[in-house]
Amino acid sequence: MHLLLIEDDLQAAEYLAKGLRENGYDIDCSADGRDGLEKALKGRYDVIIADRQLPYVDGLKIIAALREKEDPTPVLILSALGTVDDRVAGLRAGGDDYLTKPFAFSELLARIEALRRRASISSETTTRLKVGDLEVDLLARRAYRGGRAIELTTKEFQLLEYLMRRPGQVATRTMLLENVWNLHFDPQTNIIDVHMSRLRNAIDKGYPKPLIHTVRGAGYVLKE
Amino acid sequence: MRLSSARLATLFVVLFAAGISLLLTAVYFLTARVLDREVDAVIRAEADSLIDDYMRGGLIQLVSTLHRRSDNWGRTGAVYLLTEPNGYPIAGNLAGWPREVMTYGDWVEFHIDASDAGGVTKHPVRAQTFRLPGGRRLLVGTDILERRRLASRLRTAMFWGVGSSVALAALIGVGYSRRVRKRVAVIADTCRRIMNGDLAERLPVEASHDEFDELAIAVNQMLSRIHQQTEVLQTTFDSAAHDLRAPLYRARVRIEESLQHEDLNPASRETMEATLAELDRVQRTLGTLLQIAQADGRGRDVVTEDVDLAALAREMVELYQPEAGTREIDLEYAGVERAMLRGNRQLLAQAIVNLLENALKYVAPGGRVALEVAQSAEGVRLVVADNGPGIPVEDRQRILQPFVRLERDRNQVGSGLGLSLVAAVMRLHDGTIELEGNSPGLRVICEFPV
Repeated sequence: MHLLLIEDDLQAAEYLAKGLRENGYDIDCSADGRDGLEKALKGRYDVIIADRQLPYVDGLKIIAALREKEDPTPVLILSALGTVDDRVAGLRAGGDDYLTKPFAFSELLARIEALRRRASISSETTTRLKVGDLEVDLLARRAYRGGRAIELTTKEFQLLEYLMRRPGQVATRTMLLENVWNLHFDPQTNIIDVHMSRLRNAIDKGYPKPLIHTVRGAGYVLKE
Repeated sequence: MRLSSARLATLFVVLFAAGISLLLTAVYFLTARVLDREVDAVIRAEADSLIDDYMRGGLIQLVSTLHRRSDNWGRTGAVYLLTEPNGYPIAGNLAGWPREVMTYGDWVEFHIDASDAGGVTKHPVRAQTFRLPGGRRLLVGTDILERRRLASRLRTAMFWGVGSSVALAALIGVGYSRRVRKRVAVIADTCRRIMNGDLAERLPVEASHDEFDELAIAVNQMLSRIHQQTEVLQTTFDSAAHDLRAPLYRARVRIEESLQHEDLNPASRETMEATLAELDRVQRTLGTLLQIAQADGRGRDVVTEDVDLAALAREMVELYQPEAGTREIDLEYAGVERAMLRGNRQLLAQAIVNLLENALKYVAPGGRVALEVAQSAEGVRLVVADNGPGIPVEDRQRILQPFVRLERDRNQVGSGLGLSLVAAVMRLHDGTIELEGNSPGLRVICEFPV
């Protein structure tokens, strides 16, 4: 697993690189946009993590240069610009994900993992998803556990679908807000946990083997 | 403003028209009087000389003078008639004593049939009649057709003169009023744009150096000063925000790194986790401040799209319903199916979320919160109503400012930025926010004009 980290805050870059190495990633570091773009074009990386504001070439321009060369390597933008519009602009510029500094390390890990495995995520054309004895019919928008239909609201179904498409992957609360509710800001109250506990009630209650698991300090994962 | 310049112009036109009419009418009457006097003077002089002839030379002398004068028309349009006491004509160029004239020794006016090149026409005549010693009658007059025509032409000329002057004055008035209105509109438009955050905008100054330019120059100087000050403030704020973020970021990364060590004692771990939470709080406040600054200042270039506010409101209610449920608060959406407006979806969602979170925070268990979206000809209106403790009337304006919190909420968690962000989002959307009592509780009314 090969990552490229383009970050001009050397101290922060050092800590991030250390943390990522401890989590089993192989990391190349670059301290400015020009060097970073050169490395990105030469090397083969699974995910590129780029700061938005960089000397010489900024993060959004790196994405543009990569996409022009038809390089599909997913790019995660890190930014100190935290307003809603900056995030949306970052995503519209072709960034695959956007993270505002400072962020929890677990958030970064979850997002790298999501980007890395994005290629393997069941394509949009799939009509049925299955994890253990939990099955989802995307056309009829119905879920079954052990063959028994489960009553879900529209949002609960969307939440379940998001998790089912990424079995075994951690989804953070922010990721769920962004992807299921299309909200690119963090509300004060933790509303995701209530929704997850409702979904859990519907999916796991009465079954000996729970499928939805809480990952402490990170988020949720759906797995057997 | 529109009324005032138009009213001024109308007043100007009316006064001008009245002045011109008065002047020209006076000229007309004076001219007419001078013409009449001239006619009368000539008649009187001639009559005097004819009566003199009669006195000195008797009938024969008068008749011969009359013959001479009548034959070659001693003066243009002269009319004479001498008759016997019974009215039988003796001399002169009139066929008979005019029927209209019954008195003697007076000024009379009557019509005669005169033959010109074009045939017989009626001509007006002004004349003086005399009874001569011996009972004979004498009439001396002047054909005043030409003079009447002159007067009529004078009237026509005056009519056109007054008419065209008034028309010109009206044109000038309308032009003047338009120009004033246009310049005022330009100033007002620019001011509105400046109010909407584009402080770099300036009022146009024309080369005419009129009072509008004077005003524009003064306003521009004021704007430059304000712009300069806000820029200093903005730059200071931006760099402060940015410079705070970097150390916050590093501190966070460092603490997280340390937390990964398994051999950490539980007390230290707890302290560090609490510190991390505090850092996140600072970060959140900073982020909100940046968001408010962006919405208020440079944020004019935020991306806008067509947003269904009703759908967004329903979604947010659904998002918060489970949370409200755990607090035993009844949260409902009531309102229209669809309410389209142009705006930034994320910022609008954030505003609704802030209002809902506020309501849920202060409403006691068993209470209720209602989100309502209505659409009318004036625009879209979003109302969040609760039956919580409400906000005292005197604090309802103040509470919209950053970091302002009510005394009673001192111990509540919160940054004091939630409502100010909503207010900033409303300003960004050219909307208004108003707080009202809900007896009991609070109604926050956000209006988006069309």
